Amino acid sequence: MSEKMSLNQKIEKLDAEVEWFYSDDFKLEEAVKKYKGAMQIAKEIERDLNELKNEIEVLSEDFSK
Amino acid sequence: MKDSFTPTEFIGVVNQTLDYAYTTVLIEGEVASFKINQGKWVFFDVKDETSSISCFMPLWELRIPIEDGMKVLLRGKPKITKLGKFSFTVDAIKPVGEGNLKKAFEMLKKKLTKEGLFDLAKKRPIPKDLTKLGVISSTGAAGYADFIKIINARWGDMKVVVAHTQVQGLDAPDQIMRALSYFNEKSEVEMIAILRGGGSADDLACFNDEKLVRAIAASKIPVITGIGHEVDESLADLAADVRASTPSNAAEMLTRDKVEEKIKVKKIIDRTEQVILQEINRAKVINREKVEKISRGVIVKYIEPMLEQCQDKMENCVDVIKNKLKELMGALEHKMRLLEILNPEKVLEKGYAILSGKISLGNVVKITTFRQEIEAEIKKIKER
Repeated sequence: MSEKMSLNQKIEKLDAEVEWFYSDDFKLEEAVKKYKGAMQIAKEIERDLNELKNEIEVLSEDFSK
Repeated sequence: MKDSFTPTEFIGVVNQTLDYAYTTVLIEGEVASFKINQGKWVFFDVKDETSSISCFMPLWELRIPIEDGMKVLLRGKPKITKLGKFSFTVDAIKPVGEGNLKKAFEMLKKKLTKEGLFDLAKKRPIPKDLTKLGVISSTGAAGYADFIKIINARWGDMKVVVAHTQVQGLDAPDQIMRALSYFNEKSEVEMIAILRGGGSADDLACFNDEKLVRAIAASKIPVITGIGHEVDESLADLAADVRASTPSNAAEMLTRDKVEEKIKVKKIIDRTEQVILQEINRAKVINREKVEKISRGVIVKYIEPMLEQCQDKMENCVDVIKNKLKELMGALEHKMRLLEILNPEKVLEKGYAILSGKISLGNVVKITTFRQEIEAEIKKIKER
């Protein structure tokens, strides 16, 4: 579901999913399903946080001239 | 060698020789007779206790305020002018010594503040969710290594493009400015970090270069500085959009912390669980209240009237039983009274006697009175 999302998009999605629990749309019957969805995103975020690395590129340009 | 030179030829030869002998010369001395001509040219002498050298430089090369009495380091080339005077053409100048650096710093700060270069209203924040960062630093410096170590430890979703430049010395400002131009014109970075670890006031003096400070203030891309230590303040810091106290602090300001993010996500999930549990409990309470309400309704509408009816009926039954018992008790008392009347003892009490035995002459019979039993012999029998 969220495979193509960036880490920040996933965090935003999690925030949005969680907001539902505090909104007037909250329905207990749907809560468990929504909770499972939020848990799935949370696990993906944790996995991404563990795996992602910064890409560091040192420019070859010579700034001394 | 020629036998003779024209003055022009000789000056040309001497200048060529000087060029060859002294490609670049550094001179340290005290400034005297400082003046600016036509708003373009700067003239001054640099001297020590016994000697003095006339110096010249274009005004645009003067990138830090200078005044008489200030001790400076000059970089330039010696030259003989067309009028045959010895001159030193300066291409870089910087104050020397903490007092002079501080004085030049304050003078330039005052000038640039007046121009509004450091206005807080112009400051731009660090972009949210930074993904492309430009770094200007010396890749061999400890401050740069600290920065990279910290961003890698804290976060992991960023492209960092590094421009390696000098970060101290007379050439550093130009190199940093070229890197700034590069990022502004040829890259897609969202923020530029200018980094340099701690050092002496002299080491950090390049960050008070007027041209560099103006270039930082004019950058289209927001700039963060992490220069020196907490206590060091440069004009580059004041011109930047965001000032970090050190390169490490810049790394912390530019990135979120993975560990904090994990804790945040866990808290979000925990809170969500709590919301569900609270709602379940709330639903249970509501449900229980409804059941109680229904029960109360049933009791009031059906059970209580039935109980009242039962009670009435029970009371009626008790009354009937009581009446019946009363009647029975009355009948019993009547019979008891009758029995009492018919009791033989009562008859004897009244003075009558009972004769028992065979009535025949000479026979002995038993006479029972209220108080006595008598045996008597029959002596005479006559019919009544």
